[in-house]
Amino acid sequence: MLRINNVTKSFPRVFEPVLKGINLSLREGEFCTVVGANGSGKSTLLKIISGEYRADSGEVKRNGDVSQVVQDVNKGTIPAMTVLENIVLSRTKTPRFAFYWRHLNDIIDKIRSLNIGLEKFIDQPLGILSGGQRQAIATLMAVNSGGKILLLDEHTSALDPKMQKMLMEYTARSVRELRLTTLMITHNMEDALKYGDRLIMMHSGRIVVDLKGCEKSGLKISSLLEMFHKFEDQNLAAIGTENVN
Amino acid sequence: MSIDLILSGLQQGLILAIIAFGIMIPFRFLDFADLTADGAYPLGGAVCAVALSSGMSSATAIPLAMICAGIVGVCTALIYLKLRVNSMLAGIILSTMAYSVNLRIMGKPNVALFDCPGLFSASVECNILLIVMVLATCMIPFAVFLRTDFGLRFRAVGLNQNLAKLQGISIEKYTIFGLFLAGALFGLAGSLMVQIQNYMDIGIGIGILIHGLASLMIGEAIVGNATLNRQLAAPLLGALVYQQMQGIALSLGLAPSDLKFFTGSIALLVIFLKKKEKNT
Repeated sequence: MLRINNVTKSFPRVFEPVLKGINLSLREGEFCTVVGANGSGKSTLLKIISGEYRADSGEVKRNGDVSQVVQDVNKGTIPAMTVLENIVLSRTKTPRFAFYWRHLNDIIDKIRSLNIGLEKFIDQPLGILSGGQRQAIATLMAVNSGGKILLLDEHTSALDPKMQKMLMEYTARSVRELRLTTLMITHNMEDALKYGDRLIMMHSGRIVVDLKGCEKSGLKISSLLEMFHKFEDQNLAAIGTENVN
Repeated sequence: MSIDLILSGLQQGLILAIIAFGIMIPFRFLDFADLTADGAYPLGGAVCAVALSSGMSSATAIPLAMICAGIVGVCTALIYLKLRVNSMLAGIILSTMAYSVNLRIMGKPNVALFDCPGLFSASVECNILLIVMVLATCMIPFAVFLRTDFGLRFRAVGLNQNLAKLQGISIEKYTIFGLFLAGALFGLAGSLMVQIQNYMDIGIGIGILIHGLASLMIGEAIVGNATLNRQLAAPLLGALVYQQMQGIALSLGLAPSDLKFFTGSIALLVIFLKKKEKNT
């Protein structure tokens, strides 16, 4: 479970608050996709949930550890370590004086579940893999780290369409099987509609659309894009008014 | 170049390898530029010399020297972590302070150990074997440690500190541990050197950091540092090659007083070649 109560956040030298009283509650295993224009506060919200930023006011209640996948794969992995070492590192919460390759067979099974043949690179430095392959490993690391809350910040945005689809299928399957409470930021409206149980749209630091169940499943991509552009047009109009004044 | 010079170079090179290992641990595994070698190495020598001259055995004097030098490493780590002083500056400050401490420990600028029973004999071959055994006793457990859960976390601290923090790894604990280990290795090298030379001089540490650093860079230029095994082999190989290069330079007629210039030139050459290789 994840509960966010009236969270606000401002940054120095930025006139408007980035988050203006966010309220959001996700039940255990709920998969929520987050859409919104650049600067709407999506990533800031995720950073507050992960503990990287502190909220100015309000509170965040988490029922377990948080694991996350960020857009920049270098931040979430260690390219100089092997694939095995990276995955072991993400799984080992209580280290022991034992050789880390005792996890080898288990980890090979996990990598096989990605279905992209990465198991043959298990003892190779992660840095030699392509961006997409590395992001797949980063997602596998986050999903299997034992955290109950999963945060995904545009984790498929830099990938080709085939790899994007594969990784989204893997993410959705893992979230369902492990009952991870998940918040996924994406700019891909199709993915936002296709995956997850819930969709929220953020605009200027607020949640302006919150769709669940039938509301979400019945929505067409054209309607979602229409909503998105409506808020963006409002924003542009507001900027225009400010400039005139 | 005579066989005696080669063997002597091998003996010195093995001790230099211990220093290069001490430099490599914080530098490569913790991303911490530690400059305490200039202070911790003579501190180890001073403690060992005073312990031996007061009647202690080598078996007691060497661990004592290692612990004392290790504490210097811990102090560097604490200055960096608690006072937020730059790692290099913390090392320089500690090395400067250690000079006075060493003089206090010794009570005079040099201590002769000719009458004390040391670890080494007159046979260079036996001494080499003994240093190899000491080196193996230190480095094999470390190589094993790096392949455990704790070792993996230790390496993660230097490779991606933000990720390490996210994984709940204590940067402070691992930094203190790593710098203790490095300091202890400097102390070990210092205590072995004074027993080979049979005297301890307050100035033995001057420039030792550059020698160690040059060894590490030469080693990494030869075997690289892409894998753990290569990274661990680099200081040993580099120190042996570097020491033999010094031997060759001396046998070609270079004055001993010019060796420091030679050392600096070698270090600069390796840095230049590595940069050139990266750019191509």
